[in-house]
Amino acid sequence: MNVISIADVSCQAFVQAPENLDPSVLHRFVVGEDRGPTPVGPAGLAELGDPFATLLLQKGVFPPNADQLLAAIDAATPENDPLRTEMTFLLGEGSQLPGTGDEGPNRRLRFIVSRGRAPEGIDLLLSAADPANGLVELMAWDPTAGGFNYYRTVGRGPAWALAGNSRHALTEPTRGKGPFESHPSGSLIMKELKFPWLHWNSFKAQIPANAFPGGDPRVEHRWFKNLQGADVMEESVAKPSIMRWTEARFAQLATGDGGFADPRRVLEQIVTSPTANLVTSSSESAAVKADDRLVLPSTFFVDLDALSGKLGLAAPPDFSVSGADYLASLDDFGFALTDGDFRHPADEARFADTHFACAVPERAFEDQATLQAALDAGLVSPRLAASLLMVDFPNPVFSQRRAALRAPHAPESAPSAAAYSQEMADRILAAADAAGEGSPEREFADRWGVGEDFADPFDALLTAYYQAVLDRLATREGFFDYVRLAESRRDRVRALPIGREFELLFARPRPDTDAGLLRMTEAGTVEEDN
Amino acid sequence: MPILDRFSPPGNLEELTEEGRSAWNHVVRGLFERAERILDFPQFVDPTKTDMPAGPGAVAQWAAFPATQRKGTDQQRWDRVDNDRGLQDEYCEWSVQRDGGRNVVKVTFTTEMPEYYDHLLTVDEDRALDLFEAFTGSRPSVSDLRADDEYIPANPPNSAHDGPIVHLSQGSNNLFAAIALAAQATILRHDANGDPVTDQEQLVECGGLGKKTRSSDPQIAAKVNALAAEGHEITLADPVGLYLTGIMTNGMKTPDGANPATFWTPERGDEQHLLRAHFAVPEDKPYTLTQVTINGQPIRFGAQLADRVGVRIEAIAKPANHEPHSQPCVPPRTP
Repeated sequence: MNVISIADVSCQAFVQAPENLDPSVLHRFVVGEDRGPTPVGPAGLAELGDPFATLLLQKGVFPPNADQLLAAIDAATPENDPLRTEMTFLLGEGSQLPGTGDEGPNRRLRFIVSRGRAPEGIDLLLSAADPANGLVELMAWDPTAGGFNYYRTVGRGPAWALAGNSRHALTEPTRGKGPFESHPSGSLIMKELKFPWLHWNSFKAQIPANAFPGGDPRVEHRWFKNLQGADVMEESVAKPSIMRWTEARFAQLATGDGGFADPRRVLEQIVTSPTANLVTSSSESAAVKADDRLVLPSTFFVDLDALSGKLGLAAPPDFSVSGADYLASLDDFGFALTDGDFRHPADEARFADTHFACAVPERAFEDQATLQAALDAGLVSPRLAASLLMVDFPNPVFSQRRAALRAPHAPESAPSAAAYSQEMADRILAAADAAGEGSPEREFADRWGVGEDFADPFDALLTAYYQAVLDRLATREGFFDYVRLAESRRDRVRALPIGREFELLFARPRPDTDAGLLRMTEAGTVEEDN
Repeated sequence: MPILDRFSPPGNLEELTEEGRSAWNHVVRGLFERAERILDFPQFVDPTKTDMPAGPGAVAQWAAFPATQRKGTDQQRWDRVDNDRGLQDEYCEWSVQRDGGRNVVKVTFTTEMPEYYDHLLTVDEDRALDLFEAFTGSRPSVSDLRADDEYIPANPPNSAHDGPIVHLSQGSNNLFAAIALAAQATILRHDANGDPVTDQEQLVECGGLGKKTRSSDPQIAAKVNALAAEGHEITLADPVGLYLTGIMTNGMKTPDGANPATFWTPERGDEQHLLRAHFAVPEDKPYTLTQVTINGQPIRFGAQLADRVGVRIEAIAKPANHEPHSQPCVPPRTP
């Protein structure tokens, strides 16, 4: 059989697949492993253990759209089956813009529908803009293989393609390719995971029916009528599902004799930022008044969840800025929400931020979960985690200095998980002398050198830094430096797969504002990140 | 569509005598009249005076954990709010019962209004004191609950954060506040540029409707305001009150694989109007809630559950021909 070879290894590979694939068979297209989609035979089909495969595909049911997929699941399950428990959610990067769906840009509204209610999380999760038409992406938990199986519709038929399993995200030649471009750890994505859930329908910001174009049948569909808030998505779907895969992954990586396979990939999630979540202030931008104090996201300044939440180090005070300075920053930098010819506010003399103020990236929950699992498994000791994360700690995401501590320093194997932390520390320490003054290796050596009782000395560093930030925030100049730093980090998100497609993810400053690559220093100042 | 005969007791509770039910109707009517005295609200109606449909118009729903306290690490925010009922300002309060080892044994949530207990104490003192005794383990005297004939929401038996709880006590958590908010939110607003104000925090700020950073009030205001913009007449659904929607148990794991959904026990209110419930491991099981995990973390705080407990209020609307005129924002209050 002829297979059309597709060179693209991004998500776009699926768009380049032949339009006329047979819709009555499952195709396999694991980008990086497969040159293109090929039919899955009975043996391959039988290996799939998720409910989409066992209830539908293996019985010859290939639903053409999301509505029919869910109806087929209902038909294949008895009453009260957990797979009949449905929750629907709605998001869109333009969903919180004023006006109606008949005006302005594509709001990129899309539904997330979950099925199942296991304590560990849901079993099916689909994403579709329309229940009756268009692309359907599906993640289905496979209890046999462990991890989620990734499916999506392809071509005109449409045909269903198996795009891989969570484990493909972590290993060559498939890591970072196809769906794992934007799911780098094999987990589901809810990038705006935290309160107040920018871009999501929630109790903090409802997406009304008029966000859809007039007469749009989707507003009469049960998905819209039964919408749940993003708080439910966070607590009941996203976090349990990410934890579920993390636990399964660690169980698979434990070698049974005290060792641990592929520890480098785990370390990578601790010292680098394969992806990011987005967090904002809890205040609506347009409601901020000059005499308000706007509390900024703490995780912009420090990795609060890891350093304080997991390692017990000093938590920061509230970092806030005067409403007057925040409003002045919108004007001075010329922030607006733009997408092609669209601009909000339309009046070019006015400026605006995202619906909730100050959207910035923070360490992704999937990476936090991996850190916790590594601590729980004993692969990473609290001392190693603290020493690594205290390197360049004022830059909780996208730290080039911390990233320098992964390979070649991270050992490729861990015959003994218990000895791994010491071995990694020894390797970095061995390289520190040659690395020179000011190197990340030297900084690590300083951190490691404080010993097991790291809390007090690290707290002293953090506390001095927090005070420096508070001092800088007391001045408009200092805050504007942080606005530039925030924009620099947003640019890095825009370059990630999760940011590339969404112009309205963040507000943009005037085109002539080039933040460049910036970093925060321990003195609370901002400098170029060379 | 008939005019409502009378307001029902919260949660359709059946403990009031016939006289007590009539008197409660007068209490709620009084709260509506008090709200109507704030301003003229042509689109906010008392359903015992104006016929209203039976169906819901809009449900506002939010998490019990206060939006104003989402700062710090999870452990910090949970600990802070667990230890101060005064911070629990989303029309829901809770209290945590622990064993000698500080393990969490039981967390009780309530949305019961102080106005109802004031009323119960007036019309059926024994029943009111019975409830206090049942919830706190000791029977208070009336003088514990009233001062100068005024009912004290944060009365001594109802002030604990680490054991018994009877009803809401935080200053903003009362039935009048919810009714007045709904009435005031029927006024449409526009900003200095003449643009309509519909985003919820802006609406609260612009209309002078309270604290914009809460989850509850801004959402109630926005939902009611959206109905008002369509020219509808609006009221709160009977029985007027704030209700628990339940608890999310996905992501919870128990040591023996028991379904944690079975740990949630409704105590007061009917199925659709739950006023009080607790979350506890059944007594025949050899572990406490602290041995139950939520997304990998042991339950050490009641507030961990408050992230997962929902609260709701229901407004109903009747299509009408009002042509509301938008008003400018109210001037900010001077401190």
